[in-house]
Amino acid sequence: MPAQGGPLTRALLNEEGTKVQKLFKAATVAVISSLALAGCAPTSDPTTVVLVTHDSFVMSEELQSKFETESGYELKLVKAGDTGSMTNKLILTKEQPIGDAVFGIDNTLLDLAAENELTTSKLVPIDFADVCFNYDINWFAAKKLPVPESINDLALPQYKKLTVVSNPATSSSGMAFLATSIAVFGEEGYLNYWTQLKRNGVKIVAGWEDAYFSEFSGSSGRGKYPIVLSYSSSPAAEVRENGKSQTASIRTDCYRQTEFAGVLTGASNPKGALELIEFLKSSDFQASLPENMYVYPIDSNIALPDSWSKFAPSALTLVGEELDVAGNRKQWLKAWSALFE
Amino acid sequence: MNKRLVGWSIPLVFLGVLFFWPLVNILNRGFEGDWAVHLVDARDWQITWFTVWQALVSTAITIALAVPGAYILYRKNFVGQRFIRSLITIPFMLPTIVVATGFTIFRDAANLWTDPIVWIIAAHVFLNYALAVRTIGSYWMSLDLQTEEAAAMAGAGRLRTVFSISMPQLKPAIISATASTFLYCTASYGVILVLGGGQIQSLETEIASAANTLLDLPKASALALIQTLLSVVAFGISQTGGRANIGIELGDHDGQVKRVDRRDWLAIGITLPVVAFLIATPMIQIVWKAFTEGSGFVQNFVNLTSLGTRNVLNISVLDAALNSFRNMLISASIALLVGVTVSYLLALPTKKRSTVLINRVLDVMFLLPLGISTVVLGFGYLVTFGGYPLPLRETWLVVPLIQSVMAVPLVVRLIYPALVALDRNHIEAAATAGANRWQSFLLIELPMVRFSLYTAAAFAALVSLGEFGAASLLAYGDQATLPTVLYSLISKPGGDNYGMAMAASTLIIVLTFAVVFVISRENRPEPKPKRNGFA
Repeated sequence: MPAQGGPLTRALLNEEGTKVQKLFKAATVAVISSLALAGCAPTSDPTTVVLVTHDSFVMSEELQSKFETESGYELKLVKAGDTGSMTNKLILTKEQPIGDAVFGIDNTLLDLAAENELTTSKLVPIDFADVCFNYDINWFAAKKLPVPESINDLALPQYKKLTVVSNPATSSSGMAFLATSIAVFGEEGYLNYWTQLKRNGVKIVAGWEDAYFSEFSGSSGRGKYPIVLSYSSSPAAEVRENGKSQTASIRTDCYRQTEFAGVLTGASNPKGALELIEFLKSSDFQASLPENMYVYPIDSNIALPDSWSKFAPSALTLVGEELDVAGNRKQWLKAWSALFE
Repeated sequence: MNKRLVGWSIPLVFLGVLFFWPLVNILNRGFEGDWAVHLVDARDWQITWFTVWQALVSTAITIALAVPGAYILYRKNFVGQRFIRSLITIPFMLPTIVVATGFTIFRDAANLWTDPIVWIIAAHVFLNYALAVRTIGSYWMSLDLQTEEAAAMAGAGRLRTVFSISMPQLKPAIISATASTFLYCTASYGVILVLGGGQIQSLETEIASAANTLLDLPKASALALIQTLLSVVAFGISQTGGRANIGIELGDHDGQVKRVDRRDWLAIGITLPVVAFLIATPMIQIVWKAFTEGSGFVQNFVNLTSLGTRNVLNISVLDAALNSFRNMLISASIALLVGVTVSYLLALPTKKRSTVLINRVLDVMFLLPLGISTVVLGFGYLVTFGGYPLPLRETWLVVPLIQSVMAVPLVVRLIYPALVALDRNHIEAAATAGANRWQSFLLIELPMVRFSLYTAAAFAALVSLGEFGAASLLAYGDQATLPTVLYSLISKPGGDNYGMAMAASTLIIVLTFAVVFVISRENRPEPKPKRNGFA
């Protein structure tokens, strides 16, 4: 560069210099003011009650405002990821909990929650769902193939490359099926069963949604697989114009997931939290569960919708209730992953 | 030295509070447990080995493709060059979740290789190609043309010229590009999560599942330790092999380079398919899906104001975009302030040996956030900032703050080399005219590196926009960001969700391209920085 320090410097000072300076100043102001804002943020407010839930929680606006008028508290929902990550977040933050009440801790995580004293009293059950296989009725009719009747059948050659399941490492329904296989075949036999499934071309996907909506032929995604790991309630969502469901469940050897709620230890509004738990047990909320979250209400006095009693009754036989899933999942997953990775 | 110390106090407090404190806190929790078993666990080493080899393969392919790319796009000139340069830069700026989705569509359409590893590597090359091309290209452009021309005149073919003259000269830039690409590939999270479908684990996804699904903090800490060591090794290599002041430049300095001619066939033959297939196709496919998927183009975009089918989102994509935009402004401002301060302090001329050594250490310290698992840092924030003395977790600021920590290294990498390369004449002239050090920095040096500053601002902004690992932990509920809602939509298909994800990704691609293109337009030819620092 030729030496032109004088004029160049002047030019920079007059034009670009001030522009950059402004940019810098603006940035400083933005940072300082936002930090100041953060300092003043309210940490507790006795007029609200904060419910920590998983991402699949649905509560209609009518029900929310019903609770708010009845209790006088404003309801705030904090959706903290799927059931597993929500529970982990609660454990990591138990000294300063991120809410007052929790909904959605399931039976596999109960012991973990108790060990960590997450809630002030015993968690109460709110709803349940049965993890079963679903199949595409039309597909089997068209192929003139008998429908599978148990999880044993899925390893048979006539059902080769027909089944899609979700990964037990990344989804709770997948974990439920892993537990099912252990309950049915025992600790010594389940890996053998999975080896057969693998040989029979079972497809593994990350989440239940992938399996059900993208890979399963009986749902909206029109995928390639006519058998999917899902819930006994799913066929109620596949009722077509002819008034019949396009899918059905294999209702034997299913795993029941029960969801619980409780008041968090160290809650800033324990009274409001308790009222909220009572509301979750009330018949209004219980009756909304099938339509909103596709689960069965824990209160057996609540009548199920018509399509549910017709197409989506709960499972006939349940397995795996005696298993310590939380305590064993690490080693089970390790063995399972060794087979599938 | 005293003034230097005062200057350092601000960035050091920033890094200490927002990086080292939460990091040490979370690692400590892990190290209380039985973490050492994971250092001898066969499966954990298998995962480490996979992380390393996929990163090595991805890096090797990236660099092999980037050298001819850098030649054509920076050492030569042709019509439409700026467009292509902008085009190849988009992938680096895109949220990795979007990239992974593009390759999922590519994979399903191609139906050629079903092995997810092939697609993971392809996506890594896609992501890092621009970084490598720019690093090598801008350095190549600054090299003296004469030796190459002399060799050509003496009858050396193009290939021979490249191998015997250019490559040895390019060594520092190639080493620098290799180290950063390797670093990004080892820390890759979104790509492996989506393309691996939960069946392929790298260190980062295993850390996430250990911490997130299994609540196995000892394991997460042990793996984080391994990952940090890997990063440090990569830093070490880049520091010893290359000169420290290799930057990534976004600006186009159209200088005296020659037009492309027939003898460049090999470089064109390699670069053209790379740009057309590897870079353009995944993006075109996303846009195509946005038009054809679900309820069609218009409806997919209208749906962005909804919560998706089955209400899978907590807030609409539009609201998440607003969150992201707000986070981006705050995060980029903080990263710029801190990064520029650090660069300024690092670039202060010094002759003292101890200061040089301390600067080296500080330089690496401020680079470290690049090599740390964002998931681990996110968990650190979760346990550290819950209440007294810093209740950050309760505020939305937590996300932009953690993102600014990650953007600082990039800002430093852009501003510091530019400052070092400045012509000292003006600064000395200002000093003679009575300006103090600070005045001369604000009024003379900063304006002189303004293009690097704009670039750094853009990089910092886009880091925040695309950041996924930490946001997925900290930005829950109504604080969701674009990448986190995109992941929800992609991982929970059915109904309108997939089409919405494609529409949102299309918007991100278009916006990113606009930002990159405008910035490269702003960067008119500026006085070419002297590459060798004080020479």
